[in-house]
Amino acid sequence: MSANSQDIKPAAKAPDVPPSDGGRFAIPPWLRRAAGISELWTFVILVALVAFFTIAAPGKFFTQYDLTQIAVNAAIYLVLGVGMTFVIITAGIDLSIGSVLVLAAVAAGEYNIHHGGPASSWGTVAVCVVIALAVGAGWGALQGAVVATGKVPPLIVTLGGLGAALGIAELATGGQDPAGAAATHLQNSLGFGKLAGIPWMVILAAAVTALFGAVLGATRFGSHTLAIGSNPTAVRRAGIPVGRHLIMVYGLMGLLAGLGAVMWLASYGTTSIAGHSTDNLKVITAVVLGGTSLFGGRGSVLGTVIGVFIPAVLTTGLIVIGVQQYWQDVAVGVVLVAAVYIDQMRRKTRERA
Amino acid sequence: MSSIRITRKVLVAAGTVLVLTGAAACSSSSDSGGSGSKGGASGKKVRLITGVKSDPFYITMTCAAQTEAKAKGMDFSADGSAQWDVSVQRPLLDSVAASRPDGLLISPVDVSALTPSLKQIQSAGTKVALVDTTVTDPSIGMTRISSDNEKGGRVAADALAKLMNEKGSAIVISVKPGVSTTDARIKGFTEEMKKYPNIKMLPTLYDNDLPATAASQIQSTLAAHPDLGGVFAGNTNTGTGIATGLKQAGKQGTVKVAAFDAEPDEVASLKAGTLQVLVAQDPAAIGKEAVDQLAAAFEGKSVQKSIGTNMVAITKANMDQPEISKYFYKAGC
Repeated sequence: MSANSQDIKPAAKAPDVPPSDGGRFAIPPWLRRAAGISELWTFVILVALVAFFTIAAPGKFFTQYDLTQIAVNAAIYLVLGVGMTFVIITAGIDLSIGSVLVLAAVAAGEYNIHHGGPASSWGTVAVCVVIALAVGAGWGALQGAVVATGKVPPLIVTLGGLGAALGIAELATGGQDPAGAAATHLQNSLGFGKLAGIPWMVILAAAVTALFGAVLGATRFGSHTLAIGSNPTAVRRAGIPVGRHLIMVYGLMGLLAGLGAVMWLASYGTTSIAGHSTDNLKVITAVVLGGTSLFGGRGSVLGTVIGVFIPAVLTTGLIVIGVQQYWQDVAVGVVLVAAVYIDQMRRKTRERA
Repeated sequence: MSSIRITRKVLVAAGTVLVLTGAAACSSSSDSGGSGSKGGASGKKVRLITGVKSDPFYITMTCAAQTEAKAKGMDFSADGSAQWDVSVQRPLLDSVAASRPDGLLISPVDVSALTPSLKQIQSAGTKVALVDTTVTDPSIGMTRISSDNEKGGRVAADALAKLMNEKGSAIVISVKPGVSTTDARIKGFTEEMKKYPNIKMLPTLYDNDLPATAASQIQSTLAAHPDLGGVFAGNTNTGTGIATGLKQAGKQGTVKVAAFDAEPDEVASLKAGTLQVLVAQDPAAIGKEAVDQLAAAFEGKSVQKSIGTNMVAITKANMDQPEISKYFYKAGC
């Protein structure tokens, strides 16, 4: 319990136990805090990777082109990762995100097809966005409700959701990606448009990350999320409606999966029904890499940002320096386990102290 | 397309083998009273079972087989699985077997799980022709007709090299290693590219059927090799990812993309300039050839054990010529 509160970002007020052991070793509290931030370690790994590839492939890796492409390709995973951070902090998990993304994309895509297809108007685009967000949020909230009231573990609820959402999407489309699912307006703006050289995809992802980073770190919603992951019984006794909060957290995950669907349609122009089967694993990997505990109560959005970029930098960097592809999967796996291992060691020594 | 077909069948294979062997053991009434060798193709009952009913590749094959069978006076009808799945195709096969046809054309969705059913129907006197896909047991089917995938890879390489002005780097991005059809295509492509001394082949990448991975891979490759001039895409999902990646990088049209098959949406992409080369298989020839081979068998003539059909490269320049556009897959007869 006491370890939990130490790992919360400095901005986050510990919900249950304020850090009462400050100054025990006469080390300035800010330094203790900095060393205690999980993100610091993964950030060091990220910086080391970037430095390595920059030296290994001079003029090819740390370029504006390369940074832009890494950021664009990470944008959707980042948005999904933000939602997943909230879910995992409550000691939950959401395996269904890839399917929810597909379902939201299909719902929005079908509307678009019947209201103008690729040439549809801005009005249609707006309705499509609302549909995608609503479908995602609705599905997420439904799963949250089952988790909150049915005493079914989130692993099972969202595993069911994974199959069911994809099944509905396949029923609606006959299993084939429908043509004309994305409007040209949407593709040329969000998908491929730029503002001052920065792609809109990246700007949107950064805005979402900043917004929900602040929500987690500085609002009551955020501290309740952390508290539920730490000790749901205590939170319930404190009079906080845990069930309602879980519905909101899973709904938020679904909402962001819906936003991911919009971003997907914008950049890929199709629903890619078969192309999202491993989104959940990728996103969970990123969140865990970022220091969020699978046991709940601990984690940060900033960590997830770093966790999304480590695999992205690795795969891009290894292609740039020309390493055979199979090594990339090995490298991502090793970095994942190593990062969590170091984190756990550090945690243990501190708990003993 | 066929890469997806192949991978799915592996998953369902294990479970169905058990069921199948059980079923085969129960109903082994192998009276050879079928109408095998009466001579003459006219009036023979011929059935076709395809892999996926709604796939334009199979629709095109079915249409051609139907036309040829009608011309020969056969009693022909066709059906196909709703999905690429043994558990969906097997009941179809069993019901066709029960009707005791003289000839059966089938695209088996699994290399082994359908073998017992096929053996049974063959021993009951039905002449079996395997079209597009095959099974591992060599005793099944008097003829096997499919695309020559290695040749397809060569056709793609030649067309792509021409568009690249025979210089620059080229890369293959495929779905996953270990799939016979796509492996053969990559082999043919890589070997053929060696004929062009100024084209450098980069190591093949695999995207596990994820467009997002393909997009990131193509952009990373561009960072490392700015002279990248050509990409060979393994399937539709890969092609989607490559198109997005190139567009994000502002290289659409500069880097030429070749893809397999000529389904309606791929032809649309060719027109729109997202793809530059399509390597079309010839499903119509597969269907027609299979019916011809069956007819030869009915008439007691010699049958070719294995036939590889041709492939053709379609580009924006030649897509309007009738001898090329006939290769476009059809969405209906």
